Amino acid sequence: MTDPRVERLGGLIVDYSLALEEGQIVRIDTLEVGSPLALACYRAALRAGAHPYTNVSLPGLGEELLHNGSEDQVTYISPIQWEEIEQLDALVTIWSEVNTRSLSRVDPERHAQHIAANRKLSNRRWERISKGEMSWCGTLFPTNGHAQEAEMSLAEYEDFVFAACHVHEEDAASHWRAVSAGLGARAAELGSFRELRIVGPDTDLRLGVDGRSWLAADGRYNMPDGEVFTSPIETETEGEIRYTFPAVYHGREVEDIRLRFEAGRVVQAEAARGNDYLRSLLDMDPGARVLGEVAFGLNYEIDRFTRNILFDEKIGGTMHLALGSGFQQTGGRNTSGLHWDMICDLREEGEVYADGELIWKNGHFLAEPALEVVESAVGG
Amino acid sequence: MADDRLERLAGVLVDYSTGVKEGDLVCIDTDPAAAPLVEAIWRRVLAAGAHPHLRVDLDGTQELLLREGNDAQIDWITPLRRAEVERADVRIAIEAEANTRANTTVDPERLARAERAREPLRRIHFRRASAGELRAVITVFPTNGTAQEANMSLAEYEDFVFRAGLLDHADPVADWTALGATYTELGTWLGERQTIRVVTDGTDLTLGVAGRTWIPCDGRENFPDGEVFTGPVESQVDGVVRFTYPATYSGRRLSGIELEFREGQVVRASADEGEELLLRMLELDDGARHVGELAFGLNEAITEFTGHTLFDEKIGGTMHLALGASYPESGGTVQSALHWDLVCDLRAGSEVYADGELVYRDGRFVEGLF
Repeated sequence: MTDPRVERLGGLIVDYSLALEEGQIVRIDTLEVGSPLALACYRAALRAGAHPYTNVSLPGLGEELLHNGSEDQVTYISPIQWEEIEQLDALVTIWSEVNTRSLSRVDPERHAQHIAANRKLSNRRWERISKGEMSWCGTLFPTNGHAQEAEMSLAEYEDFVFAACHVHEEDAASHWRAVSAGLGARAAELGSFRELRIVGPDTDLRLGVDGRSWLAADGRYNMPDGEVFTSPIETETEGEIRYTFPAVYHGREVEDIRLRFEAGRVVQAEAARGNDYLRSLLDMDPGARVLGEVAFGLNYEIDRFTRNILFDEKIGGTMHLALGSGFQQTGGRNTSGLHWDMICDLREEGEVYADGELIWKNGHFLAEPALEVVESAVGG
Repeated sequence: MADDRLERLAGVLVDYSTGVKEGDLVCIDTDPAAAPLVEAIWRRVLAAGAHPHLRVDLDGTQELLLREGNDAQIDWITPLRRAEVERADVRIAIEAEANTRANTTVDPERLARAERAREPLRRIHFRRASAGELRAVITVFPTNGTAQEANMSLAEYEDFVFRAGLLDHADPVADWTALGATYTELGTWLGERQTIRVVTDGTDLTLGVAGRTWIPCDGRENFPDGEVFTGPVESQVDGVVRFTYPATYSGRRLSGIELEFREGQVVRASADEGEELLLRMLELDDGARHVGELAFGLNEAITEFTGHTLFDEKIGGTMHLALGASYPESGGTVQSALHWDLVCDLRAGSEVYADGELVYRDGRFVEGLF
């Protein structure tokens, strides 16, 4: 029995997110448990006249490599992978874990080595993506593992995921085109401001954004999607912020983080749990204490924290501010090995001022020209 | 699901069949159902200091391609497959079909087209393998699909598969090595013969083998294994052969296949079941009407037909012919996108003559030949 929402999601990714064309080569990465969505993408890609193939990982092998591989093995990238990355026109990553905690016991240092080695490959991929030579979309297929992480049943979690992607209704692509227009208008408007001030519980933070461009995340790189983001000016963040949701980095959680910024840098940091981990990440490199991203989460189908950044950073009514590397496309200059998204819930109490004027209250932009478009599109 | 035999199988494949060593790039090519065996192999490959590379296609993609793809899509070969066959030092292929009949109703023309499209990959594979640049083995992981095809329960089929690999022996590698020595002697002896004549019920076929090499198969390229084969002289196959066992081709069964050869070519072909497909396969290309391989099955641990070529062609006391491509290392020169093994049981009422001398009777070579 095929869930029509899965078929729609496959079609949406192929036709809207990747806009696959005849003759293009697309690889679909998945675990076997993501098979229904992978096959839906495969079928949609065939219909588009493209050349799809699947690349299935089997559970357990990554752990085995990280636990027992030598340094040479852990950091190895094969010539096959290098050749392949040059040939792809598009890539779909289906996150679909049977066990979201399978790497919990892996030595963090070896894991970091593995990630660093693979970064060479992913950097090349991002270079090709940013030049427009290939497209990429990351998405998720609901499993019990992810549902458990979100503290839901599988059926509830499926409803949550598919609504967030808006494939619970027909013609999801029209929805996302409307979202795209709305987010684009919002991003253009935000680009005209010089300073943002975020005020909330234990939070009063000023960020310089003068001259930075805001980008609309409209379902091309992620599905679901729904945010606008930029990289704030590296030296102008001042004040304090308290993050309501736990911040997760490589599977480890840090709870109730409070940060104080002066002249763009974190000068004081504490957490209710995971303080040591927080400090070690802040000391990773000089860029780790500087914000690389500020963003508004605007997908109002996502209404709760589920311990998965693909969804959490887009919760309608939240903001996230990431420590570490910034985005060159927005004018960001901060470089770091870190990019750690931390989410601040502004739905209950929260205000955002732009150049002194209140533009956002309790999780919503106030009535403005662009507002109608964004709300009707994203709020559904 | 810790089956000790899986660990042994992984050990044989990695240490014996392909001799994985430090720094090797090892491509493990399989289906998702083989995950337990892959895990055991992965560990062994890491322990050997080599680099495992996983290649798994999702069940169902091939069917979708064959049913819904256009010609250009069917003809296309993934750049990944090409890079793998060109770059890997070792390839361990594990078949683990969830459903052996998933392609039964697919248009045979499209199957043949897909087969032709993969021909360049096969050519690179064989070239690198015979140049010693690629060590490659193929094996089968038992699934309910293959068990069903064999009319067995999964547990029975697992026993069958592991027995066929001598994995119930104390030291499978020692036993395969000993068998390999015997097969080599037999191969050397056969290599000095000019003609082979096979006579049994419905069959009287003479094949020229002068100057050709007989290859002993001792578990390095197929696992389980147990045969000696050569590529007969392309213009010297004459007579009639009736294959005892049904043959399958991409999920279709053919039975009662009878072929008549003249000067190396099939001149008449019929089958009780699947004749249309048989005739179509013969038309695949010029090489498809030729015999690319003549072999004797020698694995005494495989005694029954199970509908899978890897096992059926090695049944102790059988011989098989392959229509289509020959293996260059045997001296055969047939080129084709086809390599289709057809098996003939010789255990009851058969004789094989080498240069006119009776050398094999009722499924066994005569004692004291070599």
